Formats: sequence, C-alpha cells, structure tokens
Amino acid sequence: MRRPLVVWLAALILGLALGLTYAWVIAPGNSGGTAPSSLRPDFRDDYRSAIAAAYAATGDLQRAKARLELLGDADPVSALGAQAQRALAAGQSFEHAQELARLASDLQAGRPSIFASTVTAAIPPSPTLTATLEPAFDLTSTVAVMTASPQAVFTLPPAATGTRVVSPTRTVMPSPAAQFQLTSRDEVCDPALPAGLLQITVFDKDNHPLPGVDITITWDQGEERFFTGYQPEISDGYADYVMQPGTAYSVKVTRLGVPVSALSAPTCPGTGGQSFTGGLKLSFKEP
Amino acid sequence: MPRWMVGLLLAIVGAAAGIAYGRLVAPVQYVDTVPASLRIDYRTDYVLMVAERFHADHDAETAMQQLSLLGAQSADAVSGEALAFARSVSYAGPDLALLEELNRAMQALAPLPSPVRTP
Repeated sequence: MRRPLVVWLAALILGLALGLTYAWVIAPGNSGGTAPSSLRPDFRDDYRSAIAAAYAATGDLQRAKARLELLGDADPVSALGAQAQRALAAGQSFEHAQELARLASDLQAGRPSIFASTVTAAIPPSPTLTATLEPAFDLTSTVAVMTASPQAVFTLPPAATGTRVVSPTRTVMPSPAAQFQLTSRDEVCDPALPAGLLQITVFDKDNHPLPGVDITITWDQGEERFFTGYQPEISDGYADYVMQPGTAYSVKVTRLGVPVSALSAPTCPGTGGQSFTGGLKLSFKEP
Repeated sequence: MPRWMVGLLLAIVGAAAGIAYGRLVAPVQYVDTVPASLRIDYRTDYVLMVAERFHADHDAETAMQQLSLLGAQSADAVSGEALAFARSVSYAGPDLALLEELNRAMQALAPLPSPVRTP
C-alpha cells in the first residue's frame, strides 16, 4: 500500500517540476516582449527623453502622462527633474534638459505650457482635425503663451484599446516665465550648512513646490543655469547653489524673470567671537 | 481506476499547478532589459514619439538616432514595422499620418540596394 503512495507523490512532484519549467523557462509569460518599466536605467532615461521631446512637439500633456506611467516611476515629476539635472551635468544641450524640466513642471501644474501642434497642413487632413487656430491672443505680449489642442482622436498607447477625444481648447495662459515674484529673502546663519549656500524654492500660485523651473545665476565672471526639483527629498521646488564669499550674484527665475540682484553670502556671528559665512534663502511664487 | 492512471492524473494536476504558480503567483520578472526587447505595441508607441518630434523639427538625423535604440534593424525597417502594427490595430488617422511621414523620411535616407548585374 505504501509503494503506490510514493509513486503518486513522485508523479505529482514531477508534474509540478514540468509545469514550472514550462512557465519559467520554455514559455515565460512575456515572450511577446517586455514593458518599458523593465528597461535598464540608461534606456529608461532615453525613453523618458523621447516622451519629453514628443511632448515639446505636441503639447499633449495627457498623452505624455500616460506614457510616463508605462515607466512605472514612483514619482515621475521627480524622475524628470533629476534627469534634467543629470543631462545638464553631463554636458548635454540645455534645450534637451529644458524639455525634461518643462514636462516635469507642466505635470506638477497639471496644465500644458506649450502650444499643442500635433498636426499641421503637412499631414493629410483628417475629418477630426477641423479646428482652426485663430490668433485669439495678444501677440505683442512677451509673457503670454497659448495652449491649444486641435480636435484629435487617438488611440491610447500602447494597448490601443480605445479612443480618446481631446476637445479643442484654447487658453491664454500667463507664462510662468516672467511672473514669479520674490516673496521672501532671508539670511541663514547655520554653521551646519555649507558656507554661502543659496537656497531657492519656487512655488506655484497654490503654494505647491514647482519642479523643473529654470533658474539662472549670474555674477561678474559667469553664469550658471539649473532647475528646481533635483532634491525632491527637500522639496520638489527646491534648488541650491554655493556662493563664493565677496561675490555679488543675481538670480533670475526663468529666462524672462526679473533678476534679483545684489545677493551675496552674509557674514554671521559665530561662537567665541568668530564669524562665519552664512547663506541666503529665497522663495519665489507664481501670483 | 488503474493505479497508473491515478499517477498520470496526479502528474497532470502537478503540471497545471506548476504552470499556474509560474505564471500567476511568481511570474518571470524582467529587469534591465534593452529597448529592442520591448513588446511591439510599446515599440510602436516609441516610434510614434519619434514621429511626433520629427514632424515638428524634421531632423532626420536625430530621428534615425532615436530609432536605432530599438535594435540593429535599419531605421526604415523599424518605422515600417511600427507603421504596419499601427495600421493593424487601427491607430487614429493623425497618428498613422505621423508614422507614414516618418517612414517616408527614413526610406528616403535608407541606402539603396546594390544593383545586381544580370548577364
């Protein structure tokens, strides 16, 4: 009686082993291909860059968002901001970094800041693309950009399981470019912080930290540009820079922003009559 | 029921349980893959991104470079494959138009095949 039990158990185990071999080795589940979330980190950056470049061309924020979700980043906004900083540090073009930063910023703001222009006359006209874009905004304004989405029907990538209709919207939206205002400027005398640390935080009009905002720092011998959001553990709208003592700096939030001038590292009183170089903390807000 | 049949049934049950476990409970996890291994629908969406950008700047060099990420195939083969898939799943007209535009540009840049001399 015992022998058949052993044989049956062996048959069960053998079947189990064969089943696992089939599922893991012979025909693993994703034999049709892998998903973007499984890409190697450098290829994920390439994929993210392609999303940002496509967004810069189309202004289709919903589609960019759907594509970013495929990458499975825990925080797509931070991932974009960090990649923008890495691109700058690696000496890639500022335009490339700016595309990434702009997408991060627009995702955070929840609205596109660029003109959507997916389809133009070069493409054979489609019945669904009948929206004509009339200049309904003040072309003389240097601080206004227009967002518009021509009526377009497109499949949801990548599964193509349905269609979405983007109704035409045309909004004259104040560009964040020239509108950030300095809301606070404080000297920071904390010996624990690096000497001359200039801390900048940018908020949107609802007081949410805004990543991907272009910051320009100039001084008499140079200029440096970077973006907010590189240190999301501090704040998505945070960026910093170490000032040299005795040098006057000017900070501009976005290229068209009004510069905040005459910034320099303060001298702070320390213990035992010793002084040390402190820092500055600036906050900017979109009105 | 003969004993051998019980054994066979148990082996089949074990195989089914093994496949279910390997597919549903602990499926193979792919990590650090390359873009060439992406599923065809993801590859097509990537090509569509390149096409959207190409439509805006008509920078064929950059488009070719971006398409080369998808593997050793030529850029016109990659864009052609994406276009064929997009047609097969009925992508929207504007997207198909973008893919066709990119495919035409990549075909124009593709090296011509060497002429075959016939006797």
